[in-house]
Amino acid sequence: MEVIRNIFDLSDIPRKDLTVFGIFSLFLLIFPLIPHSSFAMATMIEFLMFSLYGMGWNTIGGYGGQVDLGKAQYAGIGAFTTAVMLIHWNIPFWISAPVGMIFAIIWSFAIGYPLFRMRGHYFAIATIATSLVLLDVFQSWNFVGAAKGLELPLKSMPSLLYLQFRSDTYYYYILLFLFFFGFFYINWFRKSRLGFQLRAIKDNEEVARSLGINVHWCKIKTYAIATSFVAVVGSFHACYNFNIDPEDIMSLDLSILIAMMAMVGGAGSLWGPIIGAAVLIPLKSYLGSWLGGKEGLAGLDLVIYALIIMIIAAFEPRGIWGIVEKARKRGKI
Amino acid sequence: MKSFWKTSLIVCVIASFALVGGIVPTAKAAPKVIKIGVIYPLTGPAAAAGRELRAGAELAAKICNNVMPGIDMPMAKNAGIKALGGAKIKLIFKDHQGNPQLGADLAKQLIKDDHVVGILGCYYSSVTKTVSAVCERYGVPMINGSSTSPALTKRGFKWFWRTTPHDKYFTEDLFKFLVGLTQGKVKGVKPVPKSDLEPIVSACENTEWGSHVSGLIKTMAKKYHFKLAKSILYAAKAPDLSAEVQSLIEPKPGTMLFASYISDAILMVKTLKSMKAHPKIIWGQDAGFEKPEFRSTLKDNIVGVLTRTVFIPSIAKVKKVAGEVNALYKKKTGHDLGGASARSFTGLQAWVAILEKAGSTNPKAIQKAANTIMIPGEYLVVPWKGIKFSTSGDEIGQNVLGSGMIGQYQKDASGNIVLQAVYPFELATAKMIYPFKGF
Repeated sequence: MEVIRNIFDLSDIPRKDLTVFGIFSLFLLIFPLIPHSSFAMATMIEFLMFSLYGMGWNTIGGYGGQVDLGKAQYAGIGAFTTAVMLIHWNIPFWISAPVGMIFAIIWSFAIGYPLFRMRGHYFAIATIATSLVLLDVFQSWNFVGAAKGLELPLKSMPSLLYLQFRSDTYYYYILLFLFFFGFFYINWFRKSRLGFQLRAIKDNEEVARSLGINVHWCKIKTYAIATSFVAVVGSFHACYNFNIDPEDIMSLDLSILIAMMAMVGGAGSLWGPIIGAAVLIPLKSYLGSWLGGKEGLAGLDLVIYALIIMIIAAFEPRGIWGIVEKARKRGKI
Repeated sequence: MKSFWKTSLIVCVIASFALVGGIVPTAKAAPKVIKIGVIYPLTGPAAAAGRELRAGAELAAKICNNVMPGIDMPMAKNAGIKALGGAKIKLIFKDHQGNPQLGADLAKQLIKDDHVVGILGCYYSSVTKTVSAVCERYGVPMINGSSTSPALTKRGFKWFWRTTPHDKYFTEDLFKFLVGLTQGKVKGVKPVPKSDLEPIVSACENTEWGSHVSGLIKTMAKKYHFKLAKSILYAAKAPDLSAEVQSLIEPKPGTMLFASYISDAILMVKTLKSMKAHPKIIWGQDAGFEKPEFRSTLKDNIVGVLTRTVFIPSIAKVKKVAGEVNALYKKKTGHDLGGASARSFTGLQAWVAILEKAGSTNPKAIQKAANTIMIPGEYLVVPWKGIKFSTSGDEIGQNVLGSGMIGQYQKDASGNIVLQAVYPFELATAKMIYPFKGF
């Protein structure tokens, strides 16, 4: 009972923040009912996907302070598990996604154990290396379609079982359910024993160890939690896109983008990944859509996008949420 | 001040979503305009190809929308689509940046928000795959003019047609060319012992397209009994290819084959030069090896390098319409048509011909017209017999009348580096330089 109470307990969050989140949640719930373009819907789906990716990253990267730049490998494991199970054994998403999650967790334990012997930049580089190695393996592994990837067979639509719909609205609401599930899970996590231990590790690893915290095991467990978030979204990505290839779902670009959601939004805060995805995803999509195809302006969208990220990072390294907190301390909010 | 910050924060969050919420109204289609969505890589590693592809499609639209008596093709004789009351073609360009997910999102935007009649694109086979899947879901016609992965037309799609020949034909052409070299069929070259051309090594970029080419090279080497010593895949975005090149030159290859986009093609040749590679033949599977930037960056280093292509400016000597269109293209961009621009031009030309035949923008009518169209080769800038799509068998939607060429970079009388045709043997425009003189 206490666990359930903790999950939904938001009493430590300022009322103003909760009000904004309430309005925002209401907006998310009614968004498909508001007249919208299909590109807007695609952007919203991407926002929800990257919020979830970011929430996962935020556990180990934000609360734990371990900069992981190899998360795309887990998205790949989730996506390919779902695709392979559907193609070969006709297994629906709701079974293949948890299986993909389990595979991803097993892999995270296998590489987390040696990787968490490293710290700081060494750890970050090691996560990139493992991700690129797995990408190479998938690109030459014929069972998963090698570099060509896999195409999911079309079922009669709509199919909730196989997560195949003609309308994106269905995908949206499924993802929205996962979004709120993820949000409340992270809310529980940050107040759990593991969450406190992790923050102690982030503040001072030696002190945390002297207090009896098993630092190595804490990091591995949190890494597995982060992994499961990313793997589930990877599974969803396979069904949403009907087609996956390693270069798309397991690229270093994706790993960096996942980390950026939390970093730009505010790593180590409950709202950070959501704010990061809410700012970066629409910005990227709409700048690309408006400027990307204009003659003579090719690339300008990417320049503006990069500039905004640089300005935020230079102004407040703790991201947008850091700016809000600073303003709050000065009594401006 | 407090309220300023509070308001700013709320406004920022809501505004970014309001923006997404499509509060920005979608423009309604103007009458007498037929919108075609064009999705190409206008930024990223293939931006140079994107510029070419865009220029080719724009030129075809210009010829369609205006009467141009100097151009000997049906679409130049009327202003707009005659069967649709002179409706003009309007191209809506989108940049997929080489990202399949973004390509699919843009396709949805073009179909549902911009209400395009159909789509042209996408160069990258991996992006063409996701975009064509979106078109298939929505029942919107898509013409692909420049993606050559054979798998694209093996899916049985009903709304996808490809004008360009694919890599299976191109790769087979290469091996027929190598066999021809051993038989003395190549203009200006005496029969070459097969052992001089062996072993073969190949390096292909590791996405959908390159990995397919790599597989085809293996298959064809076996079929034509050539010894393939090494076949590697590499990342097109790799900042360094030294390890890959070291591995390629280790078996002392006679023939080196590549499937590369532009930035990696340039890096590959520079690395070959720095490592003093000295094969007898260097051949690239079009793409990066054929872009103007490949020529302008590497200059004399590429004299003797071969590339598969579908268009060589010198074919204007034997194909009048190619010369006419090439002159317009050169006026517009400052350089000749290449494989990418010629094929995007042809892709849009196919769109125009299909719309003329359909006499309607109804998807079913377009589908019917596409499945029965026959565009004679004499009206095309590319040296194909024509455009006619397969409607049965295992390659539905594939143009069955396409064919490839192999060109070699040579210096002309003024010292400019130009592509000369060396295959098909009967279309050779110059004597081949053999062996490759080295760097």
